[in-house]
Amino acid sequence: MFRVLTLIGFTFIFIHLHVTGNISKYINMKYSWISFSTIFVLLALTIAEMVFYWRGEEEKHDHVHCECGHDHGTHNHKRSLWWYPLYFLPVITILCLPVATLDSNIVEKKGFNFSIYDKKDPYSSHQFLQPNTSSFYGQEAYDEMMQKEFKKYGTKDTLNLEDEEFLNAMETIYDFPGEFVGKTISMKGFMYHTNELQKNQYFLFRFGIIHCIADSGVFGMLVEFPKDVSYKNDDWVKITGKIDTMYYQPFKKTIPVIHVIKVTSISKPSNPYVYRNNQ
Amino acid sequence: MKISCVDIFLFFGGESMSNSLLQMNTIFISILIEALPFILLGVIVSGIIEMFVTDEMLAKVIPKNKVGAILVASLIGALFPACECGIIPITRRLMAKGVPLYAAIPFMLTGPIINPVVLFSTYAAFGNNWNMVIERASVAFLVSVCVGIVLSFQFKEPQVRHEMHVHHHETTIGKKVVHGIKHIIDEFFSVGKFLIIGALIAAGMQTFVKTSLLTSLGHGPVSSHLVMMGLAYVLSICSSADAFIASSFRSSFNESAIIAFLVFGPMFDIKNTMMMFSQFKTKFVFILLGYVVVFVLIFSLLLVR
Repeated sequence: MFRVLTLIGFTFIFIHLHVTGNISKYINMKYSWISFSTIFVLLALTIAEMVFYWRGEEEKHDHVHCECGHDHGTHNHKRSLWWYPLYFLPVITILCLPVATLDSNIVEKKGFNFSIYDKKDPYSSHQFLQPNTSSFYGQEAYDEMMQKEFKKYGTKDTLNLEDEEFLNAMETIYDFPGEFVGKTISMKGFMYHTNELQKNQYFLFRFGIIHCIADSGVFGMLVEFPKDVSYKNDDWVKITGKIDTMYYQPFKKTIPVIHVIKVTSISKPSNPYVYRNNQ
Repeated sequence: MKISCVDIFLFFGGESMSNSLLQMNTIFISILIEALPFILLGVIVSGIIEMFVTDEMLAKVIPKNKVGAILVASLIGALFPACECGIIPITRRLMAKGVPLYAAIPFMLTGPIINPVVLFSTYAAFGNNWNMVIERASVAFLVSVCVGIVLSFQFKEPQVRHEMHVHHHETTIGKKVVHGIKHIIDEFFSVGKFLIIGALIAAGMQTFVKTSLLTSLGHGPVSSHLVMMGLAYVLSICSSADAFIASSFRSSFNESAIIAFLVFGPMFDIKNTMMMFSQFKTKFVFILLGYVVVFVLIFSLLLVR
C-alpha cells in the first residue's frame, strides 16, 4: 500500500509542478520535456503497482523462491518499512513549503568564486564573476560561439540586458572587456556587498541556471557609485552606467566595472533567475 | 496550511534559519526532479534486460583464458545497463553459473558506469560535453580491468558467502513482462530512498557548508581526489543520476577530481557495500574496496594536466 501511495505521490508532484508552472523555479525549462515525460512513466508504474497490490498475497508467494536480491515483498519487506516516511518528504515539502529563491545567503555559502578549470593552475579558485561556460562546451565550438555573441553585443553602443540574453552578454563582456569600455549598459540584479569592497562599490548579481538550481551560480558585475550608498544585500535594482575596467586586488585581476549613472530600485522579479538558453 | 508550516520553521530557527531551510528544500526538490527521470529510465532498461537477457547467454560468451575473460566481462558490463545495486545480484548469479571471480567483478564494476543511460545523463549534466563522458568511461574501464587482473592472481576461490542455486525464470512472455515490471518497481524503490537521502545531503551541503571549507580540505591533487571519492561514497547516488550531483560540485573541484567521484561512486558507495557484504565474504569486500580506491586514484590523477 505504501508503494502505491508513494508512486501516486511522486506522480502528483510532477503533475503539480507542471500545472502550477512552479517547475521553472527548479529547472531550466529547456529540459522540461524530460520531467514532463516522467509523468506518464510514473503513471504507468502507479497503475501497475495498484494491480499488483489488488492481486495481493498471491503474487508475493509466487516470488518466494526468487533470489534475485530484490525486495519482492517477502522477507525483506518489513525491514524496509521505516524508509517509507522518507518517500513522502518531497511530497509534503512541495505542498507545504513555499518555493524559496536563491539569494545572498547562497552566494555566501557557495562562494561567488567559479573555480572554472584553469590550465595553468588547476587547484586555484580565484576566477570569479565571469560566467565562463567554456568548460561546458568544446573549446572550438565555444570560440566560434563567442565570436558570434561578440558581433551581436559588441557593435551596439548601448546595451540593455534583458533576462534572456543576460548570461550570454555577461560572458561576452568578460571575454572582450576592452571592446566594451565606454559603452552604456543597463541591467537588473540584486545587490551583494562584501567587506573587501568600498562603501560605494557593490556586486550586481543574478543567479544563472544551466540545468537545475542545484547547478546554479551567481553571475554579474562590480558596480561603482559616484558616492557612498547603503543598500542591503538582496535589494533589487536596475542600473544604467558606463562600462570600464579596474584592477581588483582580492582577485588579482582586472575586471569590468560599471560606473553608475542612474539607479532605480525595483521589486524582485517574479522569476529572479536567468537561464542558459543557447547551445 | 502554508502559513502554519512556515510558522513552525520561524518558531524553531528564526528567520534566517528558516530561509536557509527553505532554500535547502528547494535545492533538494530540484535535484530530485532532475534525477528521478534518469533513475526511472535506468530501472526500466534494467527491467527489460531482466525480461529478455538470460544469465546463461552471458555466461556462454565469457572466454576461458584469464585476460580474455576479464576484457570480455568488462565489455559486457559496459554494454549491460544496470544500476550499481541491481548489478550485484546479477554478478552473484553469474558466479553461481560458473563465471570466475576475476571476470565477474570487472563486469560488476563497469556495468553501472559504462552504459548508454549513465553516459547520456553524464553528457546532459555537463552541458552536452563529450569530454567528461569519454574520461569517465575510459577511467572506469581501466580500473575494472586492473582490478580483474590483480584478483585473478590473488584469489582461486569464489569468495562468496554461500552457494546459490540457479532458479528458473518464468517461461511465458506474459509472465516475463509481469516479472519485469515488478523488477522495475522494486529497483525503483530500492534505489529511491538512497537518491532522496543523497539529494538531502547534497542540498544541505550547498546551503549550510561554505564551499571554501570544502576546497580547503581538498586542495592538493591527491587530497582533492580523495575528498571527492569520499563524497561519492557517502552520498551513494545511483550512477544514472550522480552526474547531476557531481556537476554541482564543479565550482569547487577540478575536472579530474570530479571524474574520480563519477568513477568511484558507482563502483563503491554506502548502499552497494551493504549489498556486497550480503553476498561476498567481508574480508574480500574490504580488499576489493582497497584496490578500487587505489586504481581510481591513480587513473584519475593521470587526467590532471
